[in-house]
Amino acid sequence: MTPTVSELLLGNFIALMEPPPPEALGDFMAGKVAVTGMIAMLAAQEAERGAEARLWENAAIRDLLTQGGAAIPDDAATETDFSIGGLDRVNASLRRALIALHTAVEETGDRTLDHAILRFYVKSADMRRLDMPPMPGT
Amino acid sequence: MSLQDQLEAYLTRTGGKPARVHDLYRIPGGASRETYKFDIEVDGARRGMILRRDPTGSLIDTDRRVEFLAFRSFFDKGLPVPEALALEEEGAELERPFFIMGRIDGGKAQSPFTLPPYGEHAATIGEQFFSHLGKIAAADPASLPISEAAPSPALDACWSKELDYWEGVIDEDEEHPQMIVRAAIRRLRRNPPPPAQKLSVVHGDYRTGNFMHDGNGKIIALLDWEMAHIGDPLEDLGWAIEPLWSYREADRVSGMVPREKAIALWEAASGLSVDPAAFAWWELFASVKGAAIWISSAKEYRAGGMKDPVLGLSGWYTARRQDEILAGVLAKLEGLA
Repeated sequence: MTPTVSELLLGNFIALMEPPPPEALGDFMAGKVAVTGMIAMLAAQEAERGAEARLWENAAIRDLLTQGGAAIPDDAATETDFSIGGLDRVNASLRRALIALHTAVEETGDRTLDHAILRFYVKSADMRRLDMPPMPGT
Repeated sequence: MSLQDQLEAYLTRTGGKPARVHDLYRIPGGASRETYKFDIEVDGARRGMILRRDPTGSLIDTDRRVEFLAFRSFFDKGLPVPEALALEEEGAELERPFFIMGRIDGGKAQSPFTLPPYGEHAATIGEQFFSHLGKIAAADPASLPISEAAPSPALDACWSKELDYWEGVIDEDEEHPQMIVRAAIRRLRRNPPPPAQKLSVVHGDYRTGNFMHDGNGKIIALLDWEMAHIGDPLEDLGWAIEPLWSYREADRVSGMVPREKAIALWEAASGLSVDPAAFAWWELFASVKGAAIWISSAKEYRAGGMKDPVLGLSGWYTARRQDEILAGVLAKLEGLA
């Protein structure tokens, strides 16, 4: 999994708590603080939208698997754990099944389903998008 | 012993004269190695230096000797490249491998997150940026120091060498199934590019943020050669034009010049041509390589105890942005955009 919000916020704490050596003060420390700030700002977006994006993606993959005649993995038939970690576990299982389906679709030349999967990728990436506002230049 | 003490001990031993280190500071950037600036004083004379030391954890694993020799390959060759001075692959007094190079002062590297990136100097910087890259592509790697450490692939194997490597990184470091980059890799393998028109030194990370400019429109240092290798010259151009570095601008690449202008500048400086079909392959490859780096950084973030926020941001925000780009390119290639 990519780092979760809880890992990133815990990481921010760890990064700022550890006393830096004297040579890592100044610009380096300022840069480090700026990055932890960016993470906190983006984490607010993920906290707001992360569960919705995962639930949508899991449902969309189930639809594609059904459309392609592929089995939905037993451990991903439905969500029972609605934490981000729980949703990610189901998502991982579904994504593995989708990768196998897409590979088979490419080999058989089913362009209709291939294009449906490619459109899903665009939508999935957009649902998980994090918006970084422009930072002021120096 | 502090890093300053270690550095003074090393410089005194290797220089044969007492050396003092002043104003030692770690600087941001160069995420694959720890980067420090300092002044060395010997016999009352001071000189600005940069230390690049291997970290305990890193965004990417790279060969420091190749990086060192890449700097040597282009120093004093008409390009703004710092002078590489000393390499210690066993670490010596500093305990971890490192190298030292001369420092170029008076400039700044642009953050990928600040806007506007280059202001009124965007076009001027863009002309130099893509012309310098063309000059790197034009050089014969066999005549340069980098060929001592970097293998030279066959012309028709440049693409597979790079794709095999970065797919291997994903195989090793992927912690959550990455469906979009896997689709891109399959597409690249189904549609290989033609052989490279020549072998070139590939900088490997030639992009905004990895050079310094003086604030008045002049590029004064080309940096961060840690992913340098020998390969297809189109690889660097594809990476430099990768939308990730374009500040979400649709009409300029790297926040500098229009895409067609960038390619024309590169062609004029390199004497090479950009075959659209071959370049389309290398552009998609650039996004796959980016995804591999961000996947790797996510794994390293966890492995390193979540202490480095740059690795966390790269493995999360940048990975998501790269997915957006990859998904868009895959759709566009099928006429779905």
